[in-house]
Amino acid sequence: MSVTASRNLSQPPKEFVEDPDFARVNRTVRPAPPRYRNELGKYSVHRSAKCESCGQCVVTCEHGVHVRPRPYQLMTRPFDYRCIGPDCEATGNACTQKCPNGALKVMENPAFKTLGDFRWTADLLASTWHMAETGHAPPAHLESEVGNSGGGFDKLRFAFPAAPPKDLRKADIRTEVVLNRRGDDRPKRKIDVPWYGGGMSFGSTNIRVLLSKARVARAWNSFTCTGEGGYPDRFIPYADNVITQMATGLFGVREETLRRAPIVEYKYAQGAKPGLGGHLLGDKNTPAVARLREAVVGTSLFSPFPFHSVYSVEDHKKHLDWVSHITPRSLLSAKVSTPVDVDMVAVGVYYAGAHIVHMDGSYGGTGAAPNIAKKNIAMPIEYAINRVHQFLTDEGIRDNITLIASGGIRTPMDMAKAIALGADAVVVGTGELVAVGCIRCGACESGRGCARSIATTDTELYKIIELEWCTQRLVNLYNAWREMMVDILHRLGLDSVAALRGRTDLLYHLDYERKGAAR
Amino acid sequence: MIDRFNTIERGALERAEAIVRSRAALRPRGNWFVPSPEAEGGCGVTGFACTEAVGGRHIYEPSIQMRNRGNGKGGGIAACGLIPADLNVSREVLESHYILQVALLDPSAKGDIEQQFITPSFDVAEAYMVPTLDDHREVELLEVKPPDVARYFVRPKKAALERFRAEKGLEGLTATELEDEFVFQNSTRLNDVFYASGEMRGFVMSHAKNLIIMKIVGYAEAAVQYYRMHDTRAHVWIAHQRYPTKGRVWHPGGAHPFIGLNEALVHNGDFANYHATSEYLSIRNLFPKFMTDTEVSVLIFDLLNRVYKYPLEYIIEALAPTTEGDFDRLPEEKQRVYRQIQAVHVHASPDGPWFFIIARSLAEQKAFQLVGITDTAMLRPQVFALQEGAVSVGLVCSEKQAIDATLASLASEDSRITPLADRYWNARGGSATSGGSFMFTVSPKNGAAGDPTYRMVTTNKFGAAVTLPEGQLHCDLSKPYAVQGEAVTRAHKAAIAEAIEKNDVLDLYLILRGGVSALDYDGFRWLVDEVAARTQTDRPGLGIEALTLALDLRYPTGDKKRSSVLTIVRAGLDRIFEKQPLLRDDGGGVYRRITFETRELLRGPENGETTLLIDARGFTPEGETCDARVATRAWTLGWRRLIHYNSRGTRFHAAGFGPETEGLRVDCYDNPGDYLGSGMDGLEVYVHGNAQDQLCQIAKEGKLVVYGDVGQTFLYGAKGGVHYIMGNAAGRPLINAVGRPKAVINGTALDYLAESFMAGDPLTDGGFVVVNGIEFDEQGEVNPLKHPYPGSNLLSLASGGAVYIRDPEGAVVDEQLNGGVITSLTEADWRLIRPYLEENERLFDIRIKRDLLSVGGEERSPFDVYRKVMPKSMLHTSPNEEYE
Repeated sequence: MSVTASRNLSQPPKEFVEDPDFARVNRTVRPAPPRYRNELGKYSVHRSAKCESCGQCVVTCEHGVHVRPRPYQLMTRPFDYRCIGPDCEATGNACTQKCPNGALKVMENPAFKTLGDFRWTADLLASTWHMAETGHAPPAHLESEVGNSGGGFDKLRFAFPAAPPKDLRKADIRTEVVLNRRGDDRPKRKIDVPWYGGGMSFGSTNIRVLLSKARVARAWNSFTCTGEGGYPDRFIPYADNVITQMATGLFGVREETLRRAPIVEYKYAQGAKPGLGGHLLGDKNTPAVARLREAVVGTSLFSPFPFHSVYSVEDHKKHLDWVSHITPRSLLSAKVSTPVDVDMVAVGVYYAGAHIVHMDGSYGGTGAAPNIAKKNIAMPIEYAINRVHQFLTDEGIRDNITLIASGGIRTPMDMAKAIALGADAVVVGTGELVAVGCIRCGACESGRGCARSIATTDTELYKIIELEWCTQRLVNLYNAWREMMVDILHRLGLDSVAALRGRTDLLYHLDYERKGAAR
Repeated sequence: MIDRFNTIERGALERAEAIVRSRAALRPRGNWFVPSPEAEGGCGVTGFACTEAVGGRHIYEPSIQMRNRGNGKGGGIAACGLIPADLNVSREVLESHYILQVALLDPSAKGDIEQQFITPSFDVAEAYMVPTLDDHREVELLEVKPPDVARYFVRPKKAALERFRAEKGLEGLTATELEDEFVFQNSTRLNDVFYASGEMRGFVMSHAKNLIIMKIVGYAEAAVQYYRMHDTRAHVWIAHQRYPTKGRVWHPGGAHPFIGLNEALVHNGDFANYHATSEYLSIRNLFPKFMTDTEVSVLIFDLLNRVYKYPLEYIIEALAPTTEGDFDRLPEEKQRVYRQIQAVHVHASPDGPWFFIIARSLAEQKAFQLVGITDTAMLRPQVFALQEGAVSVGLVCSEKQAIDATLASLASEDSRITPLADRYWNARGGSATSGGSFMFTVSPKNGAAGDPTYRMVTTNKFGAAVTLPEGQLHCDLSKPYAVQGEAVTRAHKAAIAEAIEKNDVLDLYLILRGGVSALDYDGFRWLVDEVAARTQTDRPGLGIEALTLALDLRYPTGDKKRSSVLTIVRAGLDRIFEKQPLLRDDGGGVYRRITFETRELLRGPENGETTLLIDARGFTPEGETCDARVATRAWTLGWRRLIHYNSRGTRFHAAGFGPETEGLRVDCYDNPGDYLGSGMDGLEVYVHGNAQDQLCQIAKEGKLVVYGDVGQTFLYGAKGGVHYIMGNAAGRPLINAVGRPKAVINGTALDYLAESFMAGDPLTDGGFVVVNGIEFDEQGEVNPLKHPYPGSNLLSLASGGAVYIRDPEGAVVDEQLNGGVITSLTEADWRLIRPYLEENERLFDIRIKRDLLSVGGEERSPFDVYRKVMPKSMLHTSPNEEYE
């Protein structure tokens, strides 16, 4: 095999391209249980030898912890990750209370405490898993709205009114967002939910995860993004929902891939590592990855920073003009990080002809982004969003451009906060990976290091994830997120996502303002 | 050395310190640093110097050509070396007085400003408001009314000057130095009181001797129109199109050019170390008022020039330090000085990208200077050009097309100037060869009575002159040529007829080529016309091809300037082009023509038509009405041969055709713009002349042939294709290229050639680049360059691909690499590159045996001539070994 056998890119199986059924994914929520036997939960439930398999607990538990497959008498090991813990005892209807033999004991799961980090707490991980399994909001025993980072979105709260207006029905609340506001001759491109999936390159992430991201985007009329590793042919059936990225390495970017994309995203910078380009370590650069990128197998692939041909706003305009020349109907999005002059950058992006400014803050990034960059550079996204929103408003152009925020947006509550600060919509990345089993161990950069086979390109490990299951987890997650977003809007008395934009008056900061303080 | 310093240079240092001290009162109260409120990146910059004083209308053309590098929110021009009558003063006043120009943002400020800063300070020889159009809306795209500008011809009052000397402790200064400093500080205080204080009532636009600046909120050319400077003559003109990103700009305070004392500076780029450079200035009691890095730049320039008295060479060194291999190549004495400069002024060195064009009035010598300085990293585009003759013109610009637009504009008025330059080149920033800087100095010829006449000298940073061959003359194309006698015509007519009969392009080309040396200008012009006339109707393809060869190839031109020969040949081509029928016209033949006016009539080829000529005049550089868009539509409609001509920087030629475009051929004449061939996938594109920046980015398949130089980031991120460049590539060619692109560059590249190259193993269908390191002299002979690759970072951080370099002397050394290794050529390597060199020979007449393999007149083995540079990691292992 030639190391740069680009001439004969492996053709996708015929059915990928031609079978429309394959691409047809719908929004139906179906249970998608975890793929590991012992899913981690907040509590652990112990069944002692005193158990006589009477089945009382099966009848009692509403959460599906206790299961006895019929017609057998034997109890299975408790699905304790579903247990809601002490809250249950308060109802007086807990299995521990009802067990005639006192055989059941519920306690905090010590392993759970070791899970997660300050930004993605164990509760946030578990609640995301719950959403991905059930398609609905997580139970109350999990803190599913904020993490414990001590800053950012975790310090912001909504001042909800005492009661929502009576005449506002949840069914009437609209969550769609228009992406093209320039009023030019290009399509408007509406997404049904106020988020789309972030760019992950073929090379960084399991192809089945990437395909699932594309499929859920199809199901929910939103987008996913190829990242900068090129455009795998297997995305072609979902092309209407796939943004392609043009990043500084220009890997896999060709006229035909650009023409295919409804939106072309220029990645100038990533919030997790501003001042650095993409970086794929050699271990992930397998023959398949190298083939798509047309690079040498096994070598580390660096993208430069910045674009070698864009050192100024007029270069940027020329760059946009070029892509417009290749694909005149595509929308143009510029992904930028949040330096102190991000407002100026955003205005420049607008005047150069872009439809979307995508600001990527520093809370995001997987384990592949170096900590030194991830934790020390750029403006916190919550400041950046509002600054840019204000600046664009003062310039009188706010309604001609779509402002997208990303970087550490984990929950619908984060999304709502970002939108209240001034974004039109958000981009999510890590949240989707958590839904399909990520435990945030941070070993993403190594080709075979991912404990859950998500951030891998290994030719065997990738098979651990099943496409249909993975897709369903994401479909469920999107459904849960939308329900929760509608719920937040309802509680705020707003009838649409658009009505929330820029409503900083609804927010308060834990450090500076008290809830209910005079405004 | 210390002793020497103490004895010789103490005086100079004390003088400098006295000036710095005298400025202490200029320090604002409180926090002096205000972060720049507007991000501003790129821009279009242009400038030219001419031995004749020419009207402002000639800066108009190049400015319009680079509109798309600005956004109409800031533009400006400077004119240096003015004509007294145009300004209503005597020559004596013009040469001895400072021209103080104050922009009155608030027209009522005039009285206050005069009362505080003019009347008490200056003797005013002449004063008036700069004439303007009655209504700024008469000027296209000028939305914000430019400020009224008051112009004063001033000299400091004796008493005020003496008081200033005594108060500030400036006894050590000469009279001129003192006057300069007085004017400078007076303006600084004026700006403080009437502008920076928040008043925003007025500011000093310029205060130089024999140099003026006009700037506006609008495109640069509008300044010429609004201030009615079409006919204002000057020897040096510079212009700037600004691209501030803040939307609402109401006054031109932040626009370029900025004034130092006797120099106006325009700048393309922005500093990463704006704060650090501002701090450097603040330590020396200089405080930027307009919050842009351009002002910082000119303040640094003025500081080094007027306070530290550095020669221009040292100023350039402080701004764009010589580094790496280039530093090593400097003579020891220079290294010693440069090391000191770099150490002392490290914080004055702007961290790019930047590119400066400076117009300087050398008042003492009554000379004028145009200086272009590129940064060490060469991140902004820049082209220099020179034309020498009865009138000499030196030009520097962001894009070559704007240079040609300037020359065309000048040529239309003065028949001694031709529309093409004699030489075009790029500067290698911070280099030991040119220092990345060239200057055109226009100075009065000695001994001339009355109004002086001028000569121009072109030098680089080190003072080495740029010279053109002696004894060659331009052709005066404004006059019709003389009727040729039968002695000339009969033989040629017969030969032409025979070549046409045989349909022999090469024969026809050789007739033309023979005519260049055998005939005089008139004869050659007749010959070209004759070829055009004989072919334009029945055999246009033959005529076009033969004339194109005469345009593309190098051959001796005898006593004729090549620029004139090319102009004549190009005019012949034009005769044929223009003779081809428009799409709506009747007429047979395989050629059809489309123009801006008839663009809507585009249809597919009919009745054996094959080739569409696209006249680019009137098309916009980008967007829906770009001629490249016509080309992509034409391809969809079935055209397979496209010719763009009369291009003036219109972009995206040979791009946007989509995948699988084998069978399409695109030819580009004149000045095709940026991004040519980017993304091409199968097509062939021929550029008959120099090409600009961003060529063939992400190119996938196909063929590019450039009969000239290419600009920056050629083949950035390319995946494939075969590329032949007759001349040089500018900075960063093949950067981040993957797959299997193949390129032959016959000249060299400025720097960063094939950085992060990832194109597999060339011996198994990977990519490579051949660098021949040769140049053509004015007689069309191939000569090796002094150094086949003078830059650094060759194949730096690459993981695949290779650079084959013609380097019989072993000039390329390990210090120029970063992760690469130099090896000798193997049989397999030679087998690989030979076919490409053969095609190179066929295209450019650069012969393998005669030109490439011979060293000092002796033929050598390719293994003694070529060397291979490859990534160290590929030296011993096959890259895919592990997986096989």
